Amino acid sequence: MQDRIDAPSLRLLALAGLGVAAAIAALWAMGQLDPFAVWARAQQREVQSALAGGVRAVRAGHPGAWAGLMTVCFSYGFLHAAGPGHGKAVIAGYGMARRVRLVPLAGLALAASMAQAAFAVALVYAGVWALGWSRERVEGLAETTFLPLSYGMVAAVGLWLVWRGLRGAARARHGGAGEGDHAHAHAHAGDEDCGCGHAHGPTARQVAAVTSVRDAALLVVAIALRPCSGALFLLVVTYAMGIGLAGVAGTFAMGFGTALVTVATAGLAFWAREGALVTLPGAGMAQALPLIEVAVGALIAATSLVLLLPLI
Amino acid sequence: MTLRNFGMALACATSVGGPALAHPHVFIDTTFEVIFDTTGQAEALRISWTYDEFYSLTYLAENGFDPDFDEVLTPEEQARLSGFDMGWDADFPGDTYALAGQRPLGLSRPEATSAAYRDGKITSTHLRRLSGPVAPQAEDLVVQVYDPSFYTAYRIAATPVLTGAPAGCTVQVLVPDPEAANAILLAAMDEMAGSADVEAAFPAIGSAYAEEARISCKTE
Repeated sequence: MQDRIDAPSLRLLALAGLGVAAAIAALWAMGQLDPFAVWARAQQREVQSALAGGVRAVRAGHPGAWAGLMTVCFSYGFLHAAGPGHGKAVIAGYGMARRVRLVPLAGLALAASMAQAAFAVALVYAGVWALGWSRERVEGLAETTFLPLSYGMVAAVGLWLVWRGLRGAARARHGGAGEGDHAHAHAHAGDEDCGCGHAHGPTARQVAAVTSVRDAALLVVAIALRPCSGALFLLVVTYAMGIGLAGVAGTFAMGFGTALVTVATAGLAFWAREGALVTLPGAGMAQALPLIEVAVGALIAATSLVLLLPLI
Repeated sequence: MTLRNFGMALACATSVGGPALAHPHVFIDTTFEVIFDTTGQAEALRISWTYDEFYSLTYLAENGFDPDFDEVLTPEEQARLSGFDMGWDADFPGDTYALAGQRPLGLSRPEATSAAYRDGKITSTHLRRLSGPVAPQAEDLVVQVYDPSFYTAYRIAATPVLTGAPAGCTVQVLVPDPEAANAILLAAMDEMAGSADVEAAFPAIGSAYAEEARISCKTE
């Protein structure tokens, strides 16, 4: 099911993904997910005490304190990611727009969370340790410099999708001119179910390409540049208490907690996208894919530019 | 609807149950006392902020307090802590807002500040005077607590105390209804559609998500 939808049952499964995504969107629109947001907010408050206790236990050298702190950090990462955020929007948008396979998409989500943790460590140790800055100054740098940079890169991802979508739409219209290896694509409209080994679809080239290194790098960096303030706090307090290593490890534990949410988002995006495509067999899909890419790209670009403009 | 407004609406629409483009990293339990003058009109608020344990620990550690981490500050350290969170920028509104009915009231800069560290948490207090005396008989005195940027999450931790209030005064704490708040947000977005600067007017929405206390006094 990773490359194409072959069997009717898989087709149904894919269609269910569209249904699940639509159901979640509908529940959200009706305010039915608010209790979850309220719950997450209450848990975020509770985990502050656990975090303080975990840091103190490591400082005091209690047995099992490291494992305890890592568990709390993981929960912290999960709870703070369990809501809308730019990382999830970027991963979901990209997953909807490009026909990326599930595993690379999930890997991208995990890599982005890890890079975000690594960037927080680099930022705090460069600022606080090497330059002797205060936490406020590091946080200020994150807000005034890296936040706009992050939004700018997300906007670039959006525009990049728009441009490629437009190019793809033009290609679909001209029967794949210039893409000799798949110029025959439209002839196979309607036989998506044949299960005959090789990929016919006009999207085959896109599917095969999966995701270029350039795409992946842009996405990962765009997400990483916006470190979580909670990680900055943890790194600063553990550095000040002489247990810096625990803070670095805890920051990556937070990253894994965040990744739990972003990877789930990637999975849902993949599932919903395959569901959407299954409703458009053959030639329809050939024309729809670039248009979806243009629409999602424009949405991502518009949103991030709106967030960026007041900051510059 | 301009692209900018559309994008802002979109940015809001993609947030669940709050102005959650940011999410809080500092949690404050706030309590306050409403002080009435001899004529029975409210004249000042004495506000207390208790910071969450993680923020408290971070602040103390990074500023060299409590180097043995026994959670007890020396008297010198307690004295040095006082006023630590009161160096407000001139344009910082202080996260506490007072209204007479719907009408915003002015509040003075913080006075009579204190801070103490107890049970792993820093608690600071400050007093702010209302710009003029308020008689809660005509209109409710409303006190809201929120950070428009939502970096800090405030919660009214105890029912406010009314000091020197005339008989018949009551206080009620209201927590935000996310659904109603979202409706207010969407209505405001509609109203602003086409106007030049969404951001300028935007922070007012934060109050829809704020916890608030309503003080009302019956006329005898």
